[in-house]
Amino acid sequence: MESQAGGASPAPANTGTGHAPGSSGIGSLLKLSGASKQRLAGWLFLTPAIAYLLFAFALPIVYNVLLSFERDSLSTIGSINAPWAGFFNYTAMFNDQIAQSAIVHTLVFTVGSLAGQFIIGLSLALLFSNRFPGRTVARSLVIVPWLVPLIVTGVIFRFMFQQEGGAINQILVGTGLIHNPVDWLGTTSYALLTVTIANIWLGVPFFTLLLYSALQEVPAEVKEAAMIDGANPWQRLRLVTIPIILPVIEITFLLGFVFTVKVFDLVIGMTGGGPANATQLISTWSYTLGFQEFNFGEAAALNNVLLVAALVCAPLYLLLSRDQLRRSSGAGR
Amino acid sequence: MSGRHKKTAVRWLSTLVAFVAVAIMLFPIYSIIVASFESTVTLFSTKFHFFPYHPTLANYQTVLLGTQSGTATSVTISGNQLGHVLTSFEIALGTALLTLAISVPAAYALAKYRLRVTVLFVGALLLAQIVPSIVLATSLFAILLKTHLVNTLPGVIICDGTYAVPFGILVLRAFLFGLPNELMHSARVDGASEWQTFRMIVIPLARSAIVTVAVFAFLAGWGDFIFALTTLNGASFEPITLGIYSFLGNYQANWGAVMAAGVVALVPAAVLLVIAQRYIATGLTAGAVKG
Repeated sequence: MESQAGGASPAPANTGTGHAPGSSGIGSLLKLSGASKQRLAGWLFLTPAIAYLLFAFALPIVYNVLLSFERDSLSTIGSINAPWAGFFNYTAMFNDQIAQSAIVHTLVFTVGSLAGQFIIGLSLALLFSNRFPGRTVARSLVIVPWLVPLIVTGVIFRFMFQQEGGAINQILVGTGLIHNPVDWLGTTSYALLTVTIANIWLGVPFFTLLLYSALQEVPAEVKEAAMIDGANPWQRLRLVTIPIILPVIEITFLLGFVFTVKVFDLVIGMTGGGPANATQLISTWSYTLGFQEFNFGEAAALNNVLLVAALVCAPLYLLLSRDQLRRSSGAGR
Repeated sequence: MSGRHKKTAVRWLSTLVAFVAVAIMLFPIYSIIVASFESTVTLFSTKFHFFPYHPTLANYQTVLLGTQSGTATSVTISGNQLGHVLTSFEIALGTALLTLAISVPAAYALAKYRLRVTVLFVGALLLAQIVPSIVLATSLFAILLKTHLVNTLPGVIICDGTYAVPFGILVLRAFLFGLPNELMHSARVDGASEWQTFRMIVIPLARSAIVTVAVFAFLAGWGDFIFALTTLNGASFEPITLGIYSFLGNYQANWGAVMAAGVVALVPAAVLLVIAQRYIATGLTAGAVKG
C-alpha cells in the first residue's frame, strides 16, 4: 500500500549533522542557502492543486450553501442577485414528503448494502485465503464488476430484473423457488430491495479485495495456536481473525459508506427513482429537484443534508488515515 | 479417512464454491454481452436466452453506424454513436491528463518538501474524497454557467477531475515517500534546478504509480455519468454513458441499442484490465474512491 524504502533516510534540511554518509559539508551549505528557494519550488509544485481544490471543491461547497438560502430558478442560478429566501428552502425540504422518504431510503439502502457487501466480501476473502486450484484466476476475475461504468451496471440489472424476459425471474421460476415472475422493479415493495441487491454486487469486489489483503497479514502461528487450543472454525474467526483485522474492517466500512451514500448512476439506470419514488435516494431526488424542476434552492438544501451525512464519518476517517497525516512533517521519518 | 484425503476434498470444494461465486459475479456482464447480439424481437420476447439465440450484429450496426434495423421499435436513433465513443475518449484522456498535471507535482511537494500547509492540505484531500458528486454537480453547473464552460469539453473534464485528483495526489504521495532523499539531494549537488530534479529524477522513478493514477483517472472520465448529464445539457456532443441513458428512453428501453452501447462502454475497462491489471490491483488496494 505505502512503500517506504527510504524510511530512515535523512531529510534535506538536516543533513548537516554529519551522520548522513555521502553528504559533504559543502553540499549541505549549498542546500541551506537554497532552503528558501526550495520552499518556493515546493509551493509552485503545489499551486495547481491548490487552485483546483479551491475551484472544484471549496467554491461549489460554499456556493451550495449560498444557493440553499436563495430562491433560484434557471434564469437566476448563474447570478449572485437571486432573491434571498432565508430558511424557506429548508422548511420546504423538510415538509417535502418525497425528500423525507428519500432520506429514509438512503439510510435503508446504505445499511442493507454495507451488511450484504461485508458478509459476502468476508466470505469470499476467507475462501480465497485457502489454497485451491484456480484461486489466482478466480481472485482476479472477482474484481471485474468494479471496472464496469456505473450506468452500464444500472442498465444490466434493469434488464436482468425485468418481470418478463428477465434472467432472474427465469432462474427463480425454473428452479422452483418462486411460482410466478415477480415485478422486481415495478412494485414499490420490491424496488428498493432490488437496487440494494445490485449495489451489493457492485461493492463486493472492493470488500473482498481489502479484507483479503488484511487476512494475509494474520500470522499463521496465531491461527495454529487457536486450533491447538481446540477452537472451532467459527470461534477462530470471531475471536482471533476478526479482532486482528478489525482496523481494516473499519476503514472498509467507512469507504463503503462513503461510496454508498453517493450512489446515483446505478439507481438512475435501474429505476430513475421510481416506481412512485420508491427508490428515490437523496442524490437522485436532488438531481430531479435541481435539473428537472429547476428548483435549485431546495436541491441545494437537500445536497447539504447529504454532505453532512457524508461528513459525519469525517473525524473517524481522518483518525483512521492518521498515518498519512502524521507523515506530513516532511521527507523521511 | 486420512487427513490428506480430507484436505484434497476441501481444496476441490473451495474451487467449486469459488467457481460459483465468480459465475455469479460475472453473470451480469455475460448477460449483457449475450443480449447485445440478440435481435430486437428476441429481446422483447418473454424469454431470456442464456446462450445466443439468433446472433446478429444489428444492434452494433445501430449503435455504431446509426442505422435502425427495420424492426418494430418506435425508438429513433439520433445519429451514430461513434461520435459518442470519440467524445468519451476525449473526456477520459482529458481527465487523465488534467489529473496527472495537477497531482504529480502536488504529490512531490507534499512528500518531499517541508511545507507548513502539508497537514492541512492532506486533510483537505481526504475530506474531498468524501464529498458526493451530486453535491458538487449542482453548484459546478452554476459556476460553469457563469464561466461559460457549460456544454464544453474543458468544463466536463474539470468536473471529472474531482473523481481522480484527490485520489491521485494521495496515491502518488504515498509512493514518493519511498524514494530515497539522497537521489534528489545528489541531483541538487550536481547543480540541477528543482524543476530538473522533478522532471529527470522523480517522474521517471514514479512511473508505475503515475500509470496507476492515469488508468484510474481515465476510467473515471470514461465512466462518468453525473457530470456529463448535468453539464452537457444540450451540447452537440455527448459521451457513450449519456448515449446509453438516452436509449433507455422514458417509457420503453431500446434494449438492443442499450446492450450494444453498454458493451462498447465496457471495452476500455476490459482492455485496461488485461494490459494494466497490476496497476489496477495496486490502485484498488490504495483505497480508490469511485463515483
